[in-house]
Amino acid sequence: MTTSAVQRAVDTAFREEWGRVVATLIRRTGDWDLAEECAQEAFAEALRRWPADGVPQRPGAWLTTVAGNRAIDRLRRRARGAELLEQAGREAPPPDAVEGEMPERFDETDQIEDDRLRLIFTCCHPALPLEGRVALTLRSLAGLTMPEIARAFLVPEATMAKRLTRTKAKIVAAGIPYRVPPAHLLPERTSGVLAVLYLMFNEGYSASSGTELIRAGLCDEAIRLTRALHQLMPDEPEATGAVALMLLHHSRRHARVGGDGELITLEEQDRSRWDEAEIAEGMGLLESALHRRQVGPYQLQAAIAACHARAPSVAETDWQEIAGLYALLEVQMPSPVVRLNRAVAVAMAGDFEAGLAIIDELSGDARLERYYLLEATRADLLRRRGDPVAAAEAYERALPLAPSEAERRYLSGRLQEVKTAEGREARP
Amino acid sequence: MKYLLMIWADELPTPEDLAILQRECPAWSEEMNGRGVRLFGRELDLPETATTLRVRDGETLVTDGPFAETKEFIAGFDVLECADLDEAIEVAAKHPASWFQAIEIRPFTDGLELGEKAFAFGRGEDGAARPYLLTMWMGGSPAAPLDDQAVMDEGKAWRQDLEARGLQVFGNALGGPGTATTVRVRDGETLVSDGPLIETKEYIAGIDVVSCADPGQAIQLATQPIARYLAIEVRPFWTE
Repeated sequence: MTTSAVQRAVDTAFREEWGRVVATLIRRTGDWDLAEECAQEAFAEALRRWPADGVPQRPGAWLTTVAGNRAIDRLRRRARGAELLEQAGREAPPPDAVEGEMPERFDETDQIEDDRLRLIFTCCHPALPLEGRVALTLRSLAGLTMPEIARAFLVPEATMAKRLTRTKAKIVAAGIPYRVPPAHLLPERTSGVLAVLYLMFNEGYSASSGTELIRAGLCDEAIRLTRALHQLMPDEPEATGAVALMLLHHSRRHARVGGDGELITLEEQDRSRWDEAEIAEGMGLLESALHRRQVGPYQLQAAIAACHARAPSVAETDWQEIAGLYALLEVQMPSPVVRLNRAVAVAMAGDFEAGLAIIDELSGDARLERYYLLEATRADLLRRRGDPVAAAEAYERALPLAPSEAERRYLSGRLQEVKTAEGREARP
Repeated sequence: MKYLLMIWADELPTPEDLAILQRECPAWSEEMNGRGVRLFGRELDLPETATTLRVRDGETLVTDGPFAETKEFIAGFDVLECADLDEAIEVAAKHPASWFQAIEIRPFTDGLELGEKAFAFGRGEDGAARPYLLTMWMGGSPAAPLDDQAVMDEGKAWRQDLEARGLQVFGNALGGPGTATTVRVRDGETLVSDGPLIETKEYIAGIDVVSCADPGQAIQLATQPIARYLAIEVRPFWTE
């Protein structure tokens, strides 16, 4: 076999099997660091041996067996070290558990159990710090290295290393179980896992400029992990919905950023640049999820994204349907931001007065006090209704609250536009 | 694993909340005792009954009031024996205090031994003496040299001495603040978060329950060598 063919085979195995190998080793040894180190060594061993031996029929089983045997060797050495210390008359833990619980040799050729679900539920346990949950999921399930994760989250490596260490230490010290939660906890914990994966996706999706390619890679990892979750939990329509939601958003990635890295609004995007294959897959998944008739927030958000994906333009969008979907989403996920989005949909469906009335109600909400999109949205609806004077006032209120230069530029542009219109109107 | 549930309050309960606590707490204790997950638990006296002491440069500094200058205070605790953190969270979420206050869960480090004295304390059988909680706050200055065997031995010797004198009910180190989990229940939903309830530089590193004739003796017991690296808060338990 050529070196590049072997390299490709190892790369593929890494993407497909890393999480499974680590997950199994954690179950067998209870030691997260040992599991990662031995998995790494197994992949290095594959690079050495596959060129001569050929790629095994089941690379995952081969890798797990090699990694497992490394783990056994290390645990034996540790136990022997402890024994020697004891003989030397020092206080040391007896070499218990290790010999007894570990098999003679590791044999995963009959591997039937997929431990990845255990791993993902443990990584996303609510008692762990949120940032640690995301980082640990990327490390142990997706196989990203610590420096890669540090770069993706724009933090120094030392910070990320500490975050990972602390998260793993809490799992052990606080007694967080390594398992799929029992039925009564499952809905709550599943939505916790999806929240981590969706956060990972958005972290990558919000990175707009070309220099942030590594961050954009987070989208691919999030989609891959959510897909795996969907395959492991085929009866969970929210997992399916989350894959659909991510794909439908991801389909717009090339159209939503301009040449200078500026964000392009949905209205102004060149829809021919949307990724049709991802749209088709997202729509198909959404449909299969909705058939189960257990609608949740991810399916609803995916359904909203699907309305946009289906429409040839903003004007030809089914805003009535979107307004209805936001109303349903508000019931499941009450939040002022969801309500603001409903206001837009209601207005765009033709009822500007009703849309603006919702925004007026929201003005009293303390949670939106510093949220520039409240005034920016009001301004936008007033502009569309043909009220440039009131629109200009709202744009001016939004401007100082806008968080980034790109957003300020957009708002200033609109402000100029309505001021010009205002001037035209004032003239007889 | 053994866990400490710390019941944190930020004010005295309203009459309505108090009624709920009085009605629901006995049922909770009974259920958890029956399941074998609750080893014991007690309510503390009000925070203003606390005294905080430090030993600095060989001198004992005693101040009135609890250590933490926050409005939150520990109202009581329970010691649990659970399979894992999920079980401890479930038990905490059923405690009525979590419905309007917050419960912090901390694992004990290995070595907690509970004898008949501890269980009698849990049943409120105090005899002529009164139980006091010594809360060990670490992380202030000077920092304790954690790897210094001599310092560790001091703490060990102090506990052994208390035990020999029949004054110790139980005591043990707790997992650090990085092992803490806080549980609240709001609108029927269990909210789990990472970390201790109050995030300060100082943290609770361990607790000891001692049985003393009067507060003076409790303060005198707390005046131990290791107190030069700690602030120790002494507070009586609530007694009828």
